[in-house]
Amino acid sequence: MEFVNPEGLRLDGRRPMEMRQLRAEIGAVARADGSAVFEMGNTKVIAAVYGPREVQNKSQLSNDQALVRCEYTMANFSTGDRKRKPKGDRRSTEISLVIRQTMEACILTHLMPRSQIDIYVQVLQADGGTRSACINAATLALADAGIPMRDLVTSCSAGYLNSTPLLDLNYLEDSAGGPDVTVGFLPKLDKVTLLQMDAKLPVDIVENVMQLAIEGCKAIATYIREVLLENTKQLEYRRGL
Amino acid sequence: MVGLSLGEKHFIKGGIDQNIRSDGRKRDSYRPIFVETGVIPQANGSARVRMGATEVIASVKAELGRPSALHPDKGKVAIFVDCSAVAEPTFEGRGGEELSAELSVALERCLLGGTSGAGAGIDLTSLIVAEGKICWDLYIDSLVISSDGNLLDALAAAIKAALANTAIPKVNISAAASGDEQPEVDISDEEFLQFDTSAVPVIITLTQVGRHYIVDATSEEESHMSSAVSISVNRKGHICGLTKRGGEGLDPSVVSDMISVAQHLSELLMSRLDSEISAAEAEGGDEEL
Repeated sequence: MEFVNPEGLRLDGRRPMEMRQLRAEIGAVARADGSAVFEMGNTKVIAAVYGPREVQNKSQLSNDQALVRCEYTMANFSTGDRKRKPKGDRRSTEISLVIRQTMEACILTHLMPRSQIDIYVQVLQADGGTRSACINAATLALADAGIPMRDLVTSCSAGYLNSTPLLDLNYLEDSAGGPDVTVGFLPKLDKVTLLQMDAKLPVDIVENVMQLAIEGCKAIATYIREVLLENTKQLEYRRGL
Repeated sequence: MVGLSLGEKHFIKGGIDQNIRSDGRKRDSYRPIFVETGVIPQANGSARVRMGATEVIASVKAELGRPSALHPDKGKVAIFVDCSAVAEPTFEGRGGEELSAELSVALERCLLGGTSGAGAGIDLTSLIVAEGKICWDLYIDSLVISSDGNLLDALAAAIKAALANTAIPKVNISAAASGDEQPEVDISDEEFLQFDTSAVPVIITLTQVGRHYIVDATSEEESHMSSAVSISVNRKGHICGLTKRGGEGLDPSVVSDMISVAQHLSELLMSRLDSEISAAEAEGGDEEL
């Protein structure tokens, strides 16, 4: 199948280095301590953060750092074919773990010992790159909850199809069987905190594709910063400052 | 659920007694309702409904299936509710399953009528493509995103809006198959059929607190209800279903009083929902153009 046509356009009309449209909204869940909706094209996820609060399960209590927990769920209607999946299948457990580890690496957990932070991400629409979208939504929700972080971790995926590195794969490109590199990146510290790749890829190209994903992460970080700044301005305005 | 001090409880109860609730509403007034339709592009119809801080999404997916042998002239509808952990941390893992099951059964009872499908809000015979052979199966999936009380009413409103937004492709039966053979079908991707949702009822939950009952209770108010009755009423003012969930027993005379109150309120809610849905549909239509 042709994923990049001779004019250099992808199936959805994007250029190889082009990201899908981003949209973010802070404060989608009224009762959560922090929440956000994050959209990357047709992928739409919602994240809510509860905490820092008292540890619910005392055996998990840690005296020197906060406990970070994460749950990833997909809505029944999020995929093209309607499927009723049991909660906690292997894929969601793995993604929950990935998100938890990524967020744990950027939260200053040592500042909040003996407490617990819950991150819940819910996929409303899945069109490829849900794990990246979930990490981005979780970052925004954590920032909204006012939880101290080292940096705003962002995530983006990149692939390699038809001998072209492609940024931010959608579902069709993702299921094409080519390599899919997901990167989690701390833009200010310039550090990679998450790196996952499936399928095989020549060594000299890995670097290119990874670099492309990192560029994507940086662009998302810029956008997230804008959204947060706008949100803060709104809050300032409402308080009459 | 909600941790309230004795003073807070007293305050809420006192407010209800004096017909001014803690958010300034009267006992029989609803929170503002916002409806947005077409929120899930992959579904045949979808809607998001917000009532105060309660937010739910409903989506309708249609699939071709076989009607059951008992009712060859009727399509099938199934309602599923999911409580996302996003709404409440206690819904994590399997925590929300009990509530999900309770809500979906209550919705099926109120919207789909009895097991025979008689008295259903949706005209099941309109889902038939070829009698006894092919029908549309509607899967109504709803998701609770933010919970602040009165989930059942919000879910019913969202389902009503999602059904109003639903477009089912027109099916042409190409070859007339004889006997038991399944006829071949051709699903049109241009022509769609719209649903008649005028008969879909609304659900009104009356929560009893002390001597009075209130509509559209927030989760704070729900946390010290003595009992709640959910009544589904259609446009004609007929009662389509009734569920009483938990709490103390009610005097039979109170129940009939509640029903008449619900009938009266349903008219107001129905017209408000209708105008919200048509406004949302008009807005969605503009975007498509």
